[in-house]
Amino acid sequence: MTKPHVNGKRVLVVDDGMTTRLYYRDVLETAGFGVEEAVNGVEGLERALMGAFDLLIVDVNMPKMDGYEMIAQVRVDPALHDIPIITISTEAGERDADRAYSAGANLYMVKPADPALLTETAQMLTGVEMAR
Amino acid sequence: MNAVLLERFVQEARELLQTSASGLLTLERDPTDATAINEVFRAVHTLKGSSGLFDTPALTRLVHAGEDVLQQVRTGAMTLDSGVVDLLLDSLDQVGAFIDQLDRDGTLSGDADRIATHHAGALRARLAGDTEAVVAVIDAVLAPAPAEWLAGFPVAEREALLARARGGEAVLAVRYTPDEGCFYTGTDPLAAIRDVPDLLAVAVAPRAPWSATTDDFDPYRCNMVFTALTTASREAVEQAMTYELDAVELRTLADAAAPEAPPPPPHTPPAEPATLLGEAGRHIVRTQLRVIASGYDAVRLRSTGALIGNLLRSLRQDDLRDHWEIALAEAIAQEDCAPVAAFLARLDDAPVATAPAAPVVPLLAADPAPQSSAPPPPAATGEPRPASKTLKVDQGKIDLLMNLIGELVVQKNALPFLARRAEEVHGSREMGREIKEQFATLDRLTQEMQGAIMQIRMLPVAEVFERFPRLVRDIARRLDKQVELVMEGTDTAADKTIVEALGDPLLHIVRNSLDHGIEEPATRVAAGKPPVATLRLRAWQDNDCVVIEIADDGRGIDPARIRSVAVDKGVVTREQADALSDQEAINLIYRPGFSTAAEVSDLSGRGVGMDVVLSTVQKLGGRVSVSSQLGHGTVTRLSMPLSMAVTRIMVVDIGGSLYGIPIDHVVQTTRLDPTVIQRIKHREVFVLRDEVVPLIRMTALLGGQPAAVDPGRGEAVLVCRVEGRTIGLVIDDFREGMDVILKPMTGLLADVGGYCGTTLLGDGRVLLVLDLKELF
Repeated sequence: MTKPHVNGKRVLVVDDGMTTRLYYRDVLETAGFGVEEAVNGVEGLERALMGAFDLLIVDVNMPKMDGYEMIAQVRVDPALHDIPIITISTEAGERDADRAYSAGANLYMVKPADPALLTETAQMLTGVEMAR
Repeated sequence: MNAVLLERFVQEARELLQTSASGLLTLERDPTDATAINEVFRAVHTLKGSSGLFDTPALTRLVHAGEDVLQQVRTGAMTLDSGVVDLLLDSLDQVGAFIDQLDRDGTLSGDADRIATHHAGALRARLAGDTEAVVAVIDAVLAPAPAEWLAGFPVAEREALLARARGGEAVLAVRYTPDEGCFYTGTDPLAAIRDVPDLLAVAVAPRAPWSATTDDFDPYRCNMVFTALTTASREAVEQAMTYELDAVELRTLADAAAPEAPPPPPHTPPAEPATLLGEAGRHIVRTQLRVIASGYDAVRLRSTGALIGNLLRSLRQDDLRDHWEIALAEAIAQEDCAPVAAFLARLDDAPVATAPAAPVVPLLAADPAPQSSAPPPPAATGEPRPASKTLKVDQGKIDLLMNLIGELVVQKNALPFLARRAEEVHGSREMGREIKEQFATLDRLTQEMQGAIMQIRMLPVAEVFERFPRLVRDIARRLDKQVELVMEGTDTAADKTIVEALGDPLLHIVRNSLDHGIEEPATRVAAGKPPVATLRLRAWQDNDCVVIEIADDGRGIDPARIRSVAVDKGVVTREQADALSDQEAINLIYRPGFSTAAEVSDLSGRGVGMDVVLSTVQKLGGRVSVSSQLGHGTVTRLSMPLSMAVTRIMVVDIGGSLYGIPIDHVVQTTRLDPTVIQRIKHREVFVLRDEVVPLIRMTALLGGQPAAVDPGRGEAVLVCRVEGRTIGLVIDDFREGMDVILKPMTGLLADVGGYCGTTLLGDGRVLLVLDLKELF
């Protein structure tokens, strides 16, 4: 694998599935993002509040604290009002998407997210200048 | 994907299977252990999510079936008996075997599909509602959805859904092509498609391409086709769309439907022309549009602001970013998302910037200029426009013309005052007479002008009536009622504003009548009526009003029931209700809050009550009355002004003040010798052409000192016709007739009864115009 050109943006991936986390890490590191992981909502919230991330990618269905709850808690912090948040879930239903938006998510994607689409989306949300 | 990822997956899957198995054993001992249920569900759910990363549909299908069973257990729709536990453990063992295969060979064996289908079938057979059977039926009957059905969905969404379908989930594609005239039949296509349970996604597309101009655009014609994807069973979908089944096609979204090259390249480019955003960006922008549509929220807007700013930076659109900042600042200042929404909507279909110097104007078109993307007007094309004798004019121009004529009409009223001044102040009778002659000509011309302009605005009520035959038929069929609609006087004309505004109130009254008034055929026969009910829509002109009557021969309104409902809903107190006459009780249906969810049916309900009908009609200067005979039917009558514009009135002097009386009521003016006034009991009357006409002394009604009667001339009496009765109004003196624009009574005066409005006199005084219908 060619080593990425680092773009200086950091992404926090919150998902209880370790394969999924590895997958995101793979895709995003390839595109030059720095990636950190959390395995549930509680840990995700802790890390989001501490570290300076440019993007959160949050699963919906997680133990201890689910994605909706975590996102809502993140948005409470004024410093995190405008951090871009993507929810990624296995459910393609409109209702889940609406629930995510009302919790404060900016985008809803369906698992498994296509690598190219995920990369492009992450770049757009974090303002990474894209190759022409 | 890659070897590392697969290795990780095998490891994770084994852990999750372990967790699930031990959880299931706990559950077998105690099926109500919520922690254990959640643990098992989450493990299987995570396994499903991870397995979707690999091209192993058999594995995903089996895990998905297990997840569905556990979901039902979790929600309490299914109890976990040992039979189900056995099945789940068996399936998990099979999943474990698949994982071993993957670990060993990197792929699943050839018969994996068959095995997975077998296990998944056994699991799904346990699902409440027996989805398996339904799935079998669908598989047997429904053809796969053609690829074009899916063209309307964004690529990412489509891929995800196809992946689910390949994973073994029964996904149905519902193609709904509403009737073109559906807006006239009370059908709400969007609501109908939303009724489909378990919706995954809905795409809307025009069935014929939108025309480039608005000339032949018909906003009342439904040009939409909806495609919905759902996990609901076919029966559930058919149940939900019972009324629209003719317009619905069902297909499966199965393997067969999934073209191997999913975004069919020949299709995509015309559907999505090259745009600035691309697939990912479009998803982002559309999502933001959707999110901000839910209302203004400062925190959310800030987050959207940062996000779109990033997106534009990412796309190297620095100029657009400046514009975005401006739109954002505007939105925050106004506490309204509109500027932001407008920007995003334009961004959504912004074309690829061709040259770096092109960027500035298009996205922030602050001027209401025609859409920048619209094609040039068709003038230059070779097709000559067919010669036509009708002229299409913007309504605004007609309105302007009418307002100007209205002003002119009022202005000319100053001339008689001028004539009087010429006589009285300047002592020139001749000049006064000449002015009066000029006035007479001007008066005639303006009246004709006004009539002509009003004719332009007049529409026959047929415009609103014509939608009812279809509507009544459809609603009646849905309610299993038999109704014959009779329409009379459809060529009665009224001002466009009035006719167009009548649609909704009429619709509401007709729906009410069909829903609550007209009985089922059996009930009617039992009551000695013909099984087919009659609903009569009649329109006619009555003086300066157009009257619309909706009459049914249904069960009528029961005043006792209205009283009790009104009391229950807190509209009136029990004491107030008991004190009401039957007619007053019936009128309670127009009170706000009377019609509420308690009597919502799928037709007339929706929480909108007759109070809305009343307020709509009153806003237009009309009135509503309802009369009902229990067991025999209900008659609702809307009385609307013929025109919104100028009213001709006669000015009269009553007790030293001037009042206006609409000339349409006036039959004649006369002076009565006091001797011809007779008394019947305590009422004064006189005989006019063999008719006994009651006399009403207006000073007694309106106050003021009656002027002394000049014995040589007699009492001034204005003979008027009010709702079919003739009355004589005793006034002090007649003045001129004039055309006025009535201004409704507003503010503190809004509740003062007896006046239909005010107007300005030529000398600047305010004149009150009497509403005889209300007075007598």
